Amino acid sequence: MLSRRRIDWVIYAAFIVLIMVFPLIMDSFWLNRLAKYLVFGMLGIAVALSWGYAGILNLGQGLFFGAGAYMLAMSLKLASTTSLQQGSDKPVPDFMLWNAEPGAKTELCCINKASFLWLPFQSQWFGVAMALVLPVLIAFVLGSIVFRKRISGVFVSIITLALVLLVRLIMIDAQPVTNGFNGLTDLGWFKLGEFEFDPYVVPTYYLIAISLSVVLVLARLLVETRAGVILQAIRDDQNRARYLGFDVPAYQTFFFAVSALIAGFAGMLYVIVSEFASPTFMDLSFSITMVVWAAVGGRASILGACIGAILINMISATVSETEGFAEAWKAIIGLVFVLVVLYLPRGIAGLAHDLIDRFVARRTPDRTRALRVNGASSQLAE
Amino acid sequence: MLEVLFIGLSLGSILLLVALGLAITYGAMGVINMAHGEMVMVGAYVTVLSGLWLGTNIFVAIPLAFIVTALLGLLIERVVVRKLYGRLLDTLLATWGIAILIQQAVRLEFGLSFLGIHIQGLGPGLQNVSVPEILQGTLRIAGADINRYRAFIIVVTAILALATWFVIYRTVAGTQVRAIIRNPKMAAACGIDVTRVNALTFAFGSGLAGVAGVMMSGFKTVFPDMGTPMVVDGFLVVVMGGVGSLLGSVFSAGILGEINGLVAAATNDILARAVVFGVVIAIIVLKPKGLFALKGR
Amino acid sequence: MAVDRRKFLKSGALAGGALITSPWVFSTGAKAAGEIKVGVLFSLTGGLSIIEKSLHDATMMAISEINAGGGVKGMKITAVAEDGASDPKTYNEKASKLVIQDRVPTVFGSYTSASRKAVLPVFEKRNNLYFYPTYYEGFECSKNVVYTGAVPNQQLSNFIPWIIKTLGKKKFFIVGSNYIYPREMAKVSKILIEKNGGEWIADEYLELGHSEWGSMVNKIKSSGCDVVLSNVVGDSVVAFYREYKNQGLTHDKLPICATVTSEIEIAAMGAEYAVGSFTSFPYFQAIDTDRNKAFIERYRAFVKDPKAVTHHALESSYFQVFLWKQAVEKAAEISPTAIREAVKGQEFDAPNGHVKIEPENLHTYLTPRIAQWLPDGQGKIIDAYKEPVMPLPYVAYGETPTNLFCTGKGLDAAKLKT
Repeated sequence: MLSRRRIDWVIYAAFIVLIMVFPLIMDSFWLNRLAKYLVFGMLGIAVALSWGYAGILNLGQGLFFGAGAYMLAMSLKLASTTSLQQGSDKPVPDFMLWNAEPGAKTELCCINKASFLWLPFQSQWFGVAMALVLPVLIAFVLGSIVFRKRISGVFVSIITLALVLLVRLIMIDAQPVTNGFNGLTDLGWFKLGEFEFDPYVVPTYYLIAISLSVVLVLARLLVETRAGVILQAIRDDQNRARYLGFDVPAYQTFFFAVSALIAGFAGMLYVIVSEFASPTFMDLSFSITMVVWAAVGGRASILGACIGAILINMISATVSETEGFAEAWKAIIGLVFVLVVLYLPRGIAGLAHDLIDRFVARRTPDRTRALRVNGASSQLAE
Repeated sequence: MLEVLFIGLSLGSILLLVALGLAITYGAMGVINMAHGEMVMVGAYVTVLSGLWLGTNIFVAIPLAFIVTALLGLLIERVVVRKLYGRLLDTLLATWGIAILIQQAVRLEFGLSFLGIHIQGLGPGLQNVSVPEILQGTLRIAGADINRYRAFIIVVTAILALATWFVIYRTVAGTQVRAIIRNPKMAAACGIDVTRVNALTFAFGSGLAGVAGVMMSGFKTVFPDMGTPMVVDGFLVVVMGGVGSLLGSVFSAGILGEINGLVAAATNDILARAVVFGVVIAIIVLKPKGLFALKGR
Repeated sequence: MAVDRRKFLKSGALAGGALITSPWVFSTGAKAAGEIKVGVLFSLTGGLSIIEKSLHDATMMAISEINAGGGVKGMKITAVAEDGASDPKTYNEKASKLVIQDRVPTVFGSYTSASRKAVLPVFEKRNNLYFYPTYYEGFECSKNVVYTGAVPNQQLSNFIPWIIKTLGKKKFFIVGSNYIYPREMAKVSKILIEKNGGEWIADEYLELGHSEWGSMVNKIKSSGCDVVLSNVVGDSVVAFYREYKNQGLTHDKLPICATVTSEIEIAAMGAEYAVGSFTSFPYFQAIDTDRNKAFIERYRAFVKDPKAVTHHALESSYFQVFLWKQAVEKAAEISPTAIREAVKGQEFDAPNGHVKIEPENLHTYLTPRIAQWLPDGQGKIIDAYKEPVMPLPYVAYGETPTNLFCTGKGLDAAKLKT
């Protein structure tokens, strides 16, 4: 048992080392693209935590991602000189000017009824803090209500789904404050002291890669704690856990909020690498897509879900960019989902596990690792 | 005021139209069929294609669409869904994949567009269904202008709901379906061919979606993505009504439709939609099993 | 638990393999001699492919025509076509692929403003060039974008006065999809309505893609307006016109005057629902010139659909490639900056007539036209400017031809004060 756990950590370490050495072999485009996919990998972790470990299928994960994204984007918008210097000595975002009622005062405090909400975002660190706090807050309030009422299963999914659609609707409608459907664009770069994070340079990639590594390790440690084990017990039999005296809603709410925190953090990082925030982050299809990533990777595996997200995006990108597949790629992806659910119900992680089991059974232990790697590459070639 | 209430009723009937099929496949069989919206879309395309190639009108398209989508449903059940009974969330994922496949099949004209063959009525563009003269314009009833097409939808929905009720509660097959809902293993032990009944139930639910598609084609746009938003609304209705309760779906569709209509008339459509989402959330929080929960065991 | 841990082991190795190979296997950036690569970025999947597929086709057709005619400067144009998937996230990613990996000097693309806004940082910070073919709301002054669709003054400055004076309608009900383009169009309309002695009695919005018009049409009916100004976009348009007729409203008494309803939507709703209503665009399929007829013929042959319709954004997608070709021929070198400098003032005889790029703001001179829809789904052009009109992206804020806000130096912020 102990050695397996060690091997497990070796794999985590290998993954982390891998994503750390990429900048050595990649051009700036792939660096940026991979950074985006690593962010999606983080979303995979968030889904695995709430779905795989807590048994809560959140169909509104996009809400937390979007919240994180918008909070930082507001700060970065106020840091963008090109966006601000349009027609006022007291800078306001360009779209506010555009949506202003005639004769409105061009100041951030009062150009429209809700623009004062933007005032504290003039500090970038307020945006960062809010990007983390807001998703947790929403998840905490929602979780407290929903789990105390012992709502479970598909009903939780429907509530989260309705909520994300509701918020998306409001975000689009509140155009004077949010720039509606176009989202927040023309953002400044994220700054750390004097250093600016250009999305296409190596330090930005490392910002993402290190963040992902930290989240990955912490999430993994978290599910190994006593709380994590109790949570899985709750997932498997809620009533029994309740009878044993555990405060079920508290555990569920806690993990729901952690999942939201990770999703919000991912949203914030996504803004840094993609330079925009859009209400499409809260589209239902995006939230479902995240769940699919986790399912393909292996919902009950933190690293599996993370890799699932990265892999699917990589496959989608390469297939859609292959000559002649620009229109057909989506059908291929659809087919992959169906096949994975039918034949790999535990995802890539489950498949990997089964293969390893076979090798472990046949070979001596010290040779298994090499074989696993071989098995992996032959998998890839298929 | 009468007109506003009528619009609300009409909105409710449209919600129910889509939700009926879901109430069967999800409520009765425990399959979250994300491809349900695509069944609606296929039904709409059957109307388009039968109009273009056979010259038939929307009335003929109703049975035609029912048959086509029911067969498609049967195929999907055989190939995919059958392997996933009891794995609720896996059905969601697999049917999401199927939904993408069906959409792309229509958009790429079953792949023929790669060979340079174009089938009129398919492809990525918007399609058009002509509505018979008799269903256009308004009827004057009790001092209010009643939209004929909407009235037609309400009638069709009512007939379908009654037919569904009859099938489920008044036929042998329906009794078997209900037996399977309660306890599949026991039902099998009693000699019910669970596999066959499940397949037929799924086909029936899909067929209802096809009919919904015919009705939608007459006043909405027909294009490959048209079904996606509908399936979301459909699930809201079914879950709010209480899983497995036909009556619950009827009620929740009616309530949501009227709320939408009244709020839209008083303020605007955007707020109305927001209120609808809010009501769904509130009702599930207050009644965690939906309005009409099935009392199990 | 042991199970889970071993899963990680395997999946870690698996991903490792994939990550390492991807850049090498898939990113081949070979540049053949005698060719010039350009990016083409429209949605080929997702909801917007309804329209964007036709823009993609028109762009590809222009490229193949140029290649058939000997290419540009003796080089063949190679199109790198990517799929924006109706999603700004994908747009952003594909744009950076085209600009950074494929190193194309120009990309043709986008239908919605949202997708343009999502790719803009890539083009501005990498100093590349984007050709945008769609009518849009204005209020943008980017030196990295060439805009070949209409801006509000080219759709409304003739339309509103015409409605008031020729049609004799004075009470406007303004309705639109809920995003920036319709809201901005409404803003410009209100200014023009008041200036011409009309009044607007409502300004209402519906969610983009919304197709339930029962309540809104009922409101229109009871509002007492005598004309409806529609800035409704996309598939909503179809449901709107159908509901309009089904609630007993007719275009001879209460006409819909639209800024977005084009041939493509008319074909989709069935012409009988639109007969008698009006649209303002610089291009209609019905433009009766040999050049336009030949263009329609060629387009239909190109997409192998004898009934395919052409529309404004499609036509812009087509002619902008030719403007670009002329610019490349004039430019000293093939770089985004050189092409941009050379495209200033370029003129071309497009299917809609003579077009020209305004050197200051990189928008396009277009000829506003008003058409009334006929039972065959074609517009009958009943009013047209004699000559192309200057594009004024900031017209709502007081921009005039003699007092430009957006110039080659960028936006003059001082003039924009409200």
